[in-house]
Formats: sequence, structure tokens, C-alpha cells
Amino acid sequence: MRKAMTRKGILFLVLFLILVAVLIFGVNVDSGFRENSIKGPQEIDVESYMLRITGLVTNSQNYTYDEVVNKHQHYEKVVTLNCVEGWSVTILWEGVLVKDLLAEAEPLANAEVLIFHAFDGYTTSLPIDYIMDNDILMAYKMDDVILPPERGFPFQLVAESKWGYKWIKWITEIELSDDANYRGYWESRGYSNSADLDESFFGD
Amino acid sequence: MVNQRLLKVTIHWLLTVVVIIYLITGFGITEYRIVEPLTFGLLTKSLAQKIHINLEIPFIILLILHIWLLPLLKYFKSKKLRNN
Repeated sequence: MRKAMTRKGILFLVLFLILVAVLIFGVNVDSGFRENSIKGPQEIDVESYMLRITGLVTNSQNYTYDEVVNKHQHYEKVVTLNCVEGWSVTILWEGVLVKDLLAEAEPLANAEVLIFHAFDGYTTSLPIDYIMDNDILMAYKMDDVILPPERGFPFQLVAESKWGYKWIKWITEIELSDDANYRGYWESRGYSNSADLDESFFGD
Repeated sequence: MVNQRLLKVTIHWLLTVVVIIYLITGFGITEYRIVEPLTFGLLTKSLAQKIHINLEIPFIILLILHIWLLPLLKYFKSKKLRNN
């Protein structure tokens, strides 16, 4: 009798701990997204914010937030973000084309890769051909709402057909490089550098 | 003759170990900012994810065995007795 009660107590304790874990770890789910950035949401002051385009370009650029948003053509796309953790969200993204910004910086002929830098130190890279050929957006709105800090304000890359770790948030710099083997934060920790959705996220 | 009790206990403990690793690696994926420092950097997000994915099939096999092993053994035993 006593043994059965002890077992019930242990079972109750285990269930209680699972419930606590679900409450603690489950509450950061909002509208399909999971907050999984390397240092948590970043608060960026829009007044002092600058987007830099550097590296293998003829004219390095420094844009304020207003210059990016108001001096470039806007585009909208419905794209699904697929995270390696297993969740996905489909969103109407609004932003500017990265290739429009690059055109003003005039990339040099030997530039092969765009290395994106974020406010929190996160980096990722994508081939320049992919950016040009797919009209890749740098979004400042999602579903007609300005990106909140936890979703990457001021800009998040909409790296369609790529796994979520290529969708860099809080972009502060776009560096053009000839290093085709550059590996960003997660890529240098075992994730695929190509990150194509139709391939495994482990590997090259 | 298979030692039924030994088999049952082995499967039970293997399943327990797999479930615990499954849970830890699951948190290692979704809560890597907590798990990685707690494991002194040993359980990284990518390692946790590799282990988690590779444990799917063993987990299902062990769970099925855990549920169905004894009824199946009993069934085969009674069938054998009937045939004799």
C-alpha cells in the first residue's frame, strides 16, 4: 500500500515537472515563431541605426533606416520560413530588394558572397548569384506590421528556399567577399552552408 | 529458451535511457542557450539535433517492443502448446 503511494507520488512529481517545463519553455511561442536567436531579442535605436555595405564594392554605403525604407522601391512576397527545429510560418513580407542596395554599392567582379552581419554578432552568408537571381528581400514589415524587435527590427532577410538560419535578423552590415567558403555562426557549428530546403541541414 | 524477464527488463531500461536522452537532446535543440553551458559546451545544438534525429527509429522500435513483447511471446507460447 505504502509502496503504491510512493509510486503515485513519483508519477505525480514527474507530471508536475513536465507541466512546469512546458510552461517555462512553451510561453515564448508567439504566432508560430519560436524565439531562438543566439543572444535573445535585440533593441536597436532607429535614430542611430546605420546599414553598412562594405567589402568588395566600388562605393561603400551607409544608410539610415529612413534611407533604406523611403528611398527604395518596396516589394511584397508571401514566403514560408522553415526552421531546422521543425516549425514553420507563412508570412506576407514587405521590404526592399538586396540587389537594389547592391546596385548602388557597385560590387566588384570578384565578389562571390554576401556576408550578413547582425547587431548581436550573428553572421551568415549567401552567394551573390542567389541574391540577384531570386530577388531576395530585406524585410521591414511582416503581415503589414513593422517588424517588432523580437522578429528582427529593423531588417530581416527573407532567404526564401533556405533553412531558417539564413534568415538573419537585426542586419547591420552586408559585406561582399570573394571567400566562397565563408561559414557563418551556425554553418561553422555543423549546419550546411548551402542550407537549401530540399537538402539536409547537416553537411556542406 | 529466451529469458523473458531479462528481455523485458533490458527493453524497459533501454527505453528509459532512450527517452531521457530524447528529452535532453530535445531541450538541447530548442533551449540550446541553456543546455550548452550546462553541459560545458559538450551538447551543442547541432550535436543534439543529430542524436535526436538518430534516436527516432530506436525509440519507436523499443516502444513497440515494450508494449507488445509480452503479449506476442504469450501468443507464440500458447500457439506452440496448441500445436503440440
